[in-house]
Amino acid sequence: MTEPILEIEDLNISFFVRAGEIPAVMDFSCKVMPGETMGLVGESGCGKSTVALGIMRDMGNRGKIVGGKIKFKGRDMGEMSDEELRDIRGSKIAMIYQEPMASLNPAMKIGKQLMEVPLIHEQVSKEEAYDRALEMLESVKLPDPARVMEAFPHQISGGQQQRIVIAMALLSKPDLLLLDEPTTALDVTVEAGIVQLVKELGEKTGTSMLFISHNLGLILETCDRITVMYSGEAVETGSVHEVFDRMRHPYTQGLFNSIPLPGADKNSRPLISIRGQLPLPMERPIGCNFGPRCDHYVEEVCNAGPVFMQPVAGEDKHMSRCMRIQDIDWFAEPERRLVDDPARPGEVVLDIRDLKKYYDVAANKMFGGGDVRTVKANESITFQARESETVAIVGESGCGKSTLAKVLLGLETATEGQVMLGAVSIGDTEVNDRTRKTVSSVQMVFQNPFDTLNPSHTIGAQIMRTLEKFGIGETEEDRKTRMLELLDLVKLPRAFAERMPRQLSGGQKQRIGVARAFAGQPQVVVADEPVSALDVSVQAAVTELLMDIQREAKTTMLFISHDLSVVRYIADRVVVMYLGHIVEQGTTDQIFSPPYHPYTEALLSAIPIADTSVEKQHIVLDGDIPSALNPPSGCPFQTRCPRKAEVGGTLCETEMPPARKLGDGHEVKCHLAQEVFDAMEPVIVLGKKDSGSDAKPAVANAVPAPAALVSSASEASAKPAPKNKAAPKAKAAAKKAPAAKPKTTKAAPKAKAAAAKKEAAPPQMKKPANPDDLKMISGVGPKIEGILNGLGVYQFQQVAKWKKAEREWVDDHLRFKGRIEREDWVKQAKALAKGGAAEYERVFGKKPR
Amino acid sequence: MERLSAFEIIGHVMWNFMPVWIALIIILAASIHFRSRLGLYGKLFDSPIGIAGLVLVLFWVLTAIFADQIATFDALDQISGMKNKKPGWPVNGQEGKFYILGGDNLARDVFSRMVYGSREVLVIAPAATLFAFMVGITLGLPAGFYGGRMDTVLSFVANLVLAFPVILLFFLLVTPEIRADGPEFILWGGTKWIASVPNLMALFLFMFPIIFFVVLWVSRYSTQPQKLAIYLAVTLVIGAWAYLGLVFNADPLGIFYMDPNLLNIFVSVVFVNSPTVYRIVRGVTIDIKTRDYVAAAQTRGERPWYIMLWEVLPNARGPLIVDFCLRIGYTTILLGTLGFFGLGVSPESPNWGQTINEGRKLLSLYPHLALPPALALMSLVLGLNLLADGLREESLKD
Repeated sequence: MTEPILEIEDLNISFFVRAGEIPAVMDFSCKVMPGETMGLVGESGCGKSTVALGIMRDMGNRGKIVGGKIKFKGRDMGEMSDEELRDIRGSKIAMIYQEPMASLNPAMKIGKQLMEVPLIHEQVSKEEAYDRALEMLESVKLPDPARVMEAFPHQISGGQQQRIVIAMALLSKPDLLLLDEPTTALDVTVEAGIVQLVKELGEKTGTSMLFISHNLGLILETCDRITVMYSGEAVETGSVHEVFDRMRHPYTQGLFNSIPLPGADKNSRPLISIRGQLPLPMERPIGCNFGPRCDHYVEEVCNAGPVFMQPVAGEDKHMSRCMRIQDIDWFAEPERRLVDDPARPGEVVLDIRDLKKYYDVAANKMFGGGDVRTVKANESITFQARESETVAIVGESGCGKSTLAKVLLGLETATEGQVMLGAVSIGDTEVNDRTRKTVSSVQMVFQNPFDTLNPSHTIGAQIMRTLEKFGIGETEEDRKTRMLELLDLVKLPRAFAERMPRQLSGGQKQRIGVARAFAGQPQVVVADEPVSALDVSVQAAVTELLMDIQREAKTTMLFISHDLSVVRYIADRVVVMYLGHIVEQGTTDQIFSPPYHPYTEALLSAIPIADTSVEKQHIVLDGDIPSALNPPSGCPFQTRCPRKAEVGGTLCETEMPPARKLGDGHEVKCHLAQEVFDAMEPVIVLGKKDSGSDAKPAVANAVPAPAALVSSASEASAKPAPKNKAAPKAKAAAKKAPAAKPKTTKAAPKAKAAAAKKEAAPPQMKKPANPDDLKMISGVGPKIEGILNGLGVYQFQQVAKWKKAEREWVDDHLRFKGRIEREDWVKQAKALAKGGAAEYERVFGKKPR
Repeated sequence: MERLSAFEIIGHVMWNFMPVWIALIIILAASIHFRSRLGLYGKLFDSPIGIAGLVLVLFWVLTAIFADQIATFDALDQISGMKNKKPGWPVNGQEGKFYILGGDNLARDVFSRMVYGSREVLVIAPAATLFAFMVGITLGLPAGFYGGRMDTVLSFVANLVLAFPVILLFFLLVTPEIRADGPEFILWGGTKWIASVPNLMALFLFMFPIIFFVVLWVSRYSTQPQKLAIYLAVTLVIGAWAYLGLVFNADPLGIFYMDPNLLNIFVSVVFVNSPTVYRIVRGVTIDIKTRDYVAAAQTRGERPWYIMLWEVLPNARGPLIVDFCLRIGYTTILLGTLGFFGLGVSPESPNWGQTINEGRKLLSLYPHLALPPALALMSLVLGLNLLADGLREESLKD
């Protein structure tokens, strides 16, 4: 058996501060095998970065390893001398941090910094070091490496800097690479490039990696195995597929339920947030740390004593820190708070026509003169937003989305063009010249929760000031009452009025930000990445809150974001911006299915999706976003466009493409021919078999399915399979749309419901005399067989007749995320039904299970 | 009567400072008891450096307050036969009384002069620093907030003042001649006012605190006219009264009065200190104005001055408090320096700087003349620096 590169056994790390000892990491164990990538995922404060620092033995004077062992290639690092540790750091173990600029010395040329690595660790000659550095720069795909060697770090872009850092880490040919959120500071399309690079290098050099991230999608794309951390402990570990498809810890499940995966829908399948918040390190509960936030918490079991990692039955390396692995029904569909009165877009509230915003940047302020350069932050922006509608503005940094927000709010005035709020033109009115009503009609929710509230005033005073400014309430008392009502609205206790912002968590601060924005009954709320700085489990709660209030108040929301997963979930319409231009706009469905603008296509392929069943095209853009000071000629995207060759000629370089109308308000600014648009394949596909047919989430199709099934129930004998499912199907339908079938409102645990169903099942759904061994279908184990039986499926015949709707319904019901298609149960079942094991062997070339 | 031994001298000094010790213990005990509720001041007690600084500063503040109880003689009392006497010398004809730290060359008590000297320093230094802060804040906020031409002009002027040698500037501003040089005006009640350079500067600089508070109230309470009227009335009445008294020496009640010499020093110190404060405020403002809460204030239609004074300034307090402590220290040294050169203070004043200068002449013969005020000056400035260090350290934590 090969020896693991890194073996951590029961690691305990504590920080010693004024208040005493704070345990940051507890009983953490993991193994990284040669050539393997281990993902470490968790929310902020869960201790994932501390683990990395612990491996490097670099925890400052406050941190200390208080227990456990870290073995590197079989040697205990705790027993190594400082000398040996120094030797290992940077040569055998290398680390890549989040902020590339902070990892590079700004006063040294890049070449020199790179050459230091072989010079120090291997004592090679200068020429040799230079050659190696140059070679490494080529392998991290930097254009013109010789020039980069002579540059200072500030002269190259963030994405390039991170490539340099990776090159530096790899120069010493490390056995283990620690990556601490290496792409968090970068734009999505740049991130995609880095992720691909890391993956390729990992395969090429066989370096083991420990990849730390809060982004589950990123972990799925890069890692072989994953460890989920919560509040200083590892709560679940296993291979990526084990953990993603068969999660066995309520926290992992909670995480997946709170991120907008394809298939989530704000009305029919809303996100579920994890209630409560991360316990403070000093206030961790007895027993399971996740207990107080867990839906499956059982008194005396979960808080009886320390919970240890337990193996998951049937899966070799899959472990979970849960007392109730056997007891919890992991397939139960969680209860969702469904929206039965989705908002209907009304009149046009905001009408932006040909908006332009230019900035003049003068070279010399004091004496004037010099070069005056113009930054074209916004170029001919035209779009409308209706009442109750959510319009998402999508783009990466520097695309002009924040400038657009500033113009709307009156912090800047438009250079040209018109912005109409109802009947009022607001484009060239500064906020101080606007009427009180207009000011309170356009409000904003800001991005950074730690910046959105003034740290010097109490929460109550800040909301009261807003009310005072908007002229709400006659007296101080009135305003106080209104302020307390607003706190209720955002579901915060009234006692928070007296608190200072520093006493609130990020999510709570963001709620106050929402309360403040909605204080004056605004018509338009601009939400500038309101959840991107929050932890995953909190994001869902704040997003839901924002949407609830918006729906109640019939507010128009402009949702600025770079995260297309959230956009798909929340938005009705999407506007995609690049370098100040709107390159594509349309309804959410139009944007997320072909035809795409090439930039949208790349953006879609760049978002990491935490779903194993999703098939993505990999389109990685070259280079970085050009500077707005010096935009490319013609089409702004031409410098990075992967489809430029398909246009041919110099059209892209010379001419700004016109807005092409593709019908139903879908507009694309691109020179590509109509045939190319027609031939575009969807970027994100759920499940293999479906490729090409539909990019939209399966659930969208599954919603109409029940009706079809119910109506076909009368032809029972002809279609046994769907009919058998009609009853549970109707039940699910009832759950989703109470109006349709009001009598079934039970939300009992699924297992019980299934049992009850069996007793009352119609004759055809009862267990037939000759049930088949469904376990012969590869992918169906005893447990799944039990569930299928519970649903009334007993024979291959039934499975063989599944069509798309049935497949998706069962899939959705079992939370398999496309397994039925992937393992092709239907084809297997057909073969088995036709000629049993022999036929199966003939078709598949192997024996059934 | 016998001269006191060294041991007895220490005993006497300690005994005479009794009011200070008692007050110090009460203050410290109360502070430590309530420290959890005292914010940054309470946190200061976690840092040994901070405590040391605070004790030193408090010691001198309390000495200034209780100077009348502590001092054994008046600062100007001359007793025959006590000229240049060594520490612990019994006073002629007064049983049981000693010149604890000896007598100076005019037969005055060195100990009492040192105690009274603390008053001179501890009144002028903090007050002048406070005024410098008002000026620096009132100009630095808009410069940092608006930027552009205004910032360019103001920063240029500030740099100009900073580039000028301070001592030379003081020689120009503080000399008695310059005080009398200018057109004369007869004010109401027959008071004469000379439009000399220092007086004109006082006219200009003393306006800033009034402007500061008026803008502060107007920006905050413009939506609540009643509250605004009260605040404004109080500010304007007190402001105008003090302004008349200090600048024109025409306070009808005679409460606000500043010795012309003192006014000179005061104005000069404010003038020299405010550009530095201006630069700090401007820098911090440029940083803070990019925060989202400033944008949030703008989007709800707040006026620029509200944002500057109520959104930006409270969050700039950290560096400002630290600088305030340091700046009192600098001002103390500056005052000492001025006194040392004999600038701007009356010759008989117990001012530490001047006392050091006088004692310097006889240093090799009678070191006890210069040492006590020198040690006093040193310990106060040290205390202020330590306090600033402690505050900085604690304010950086969480």
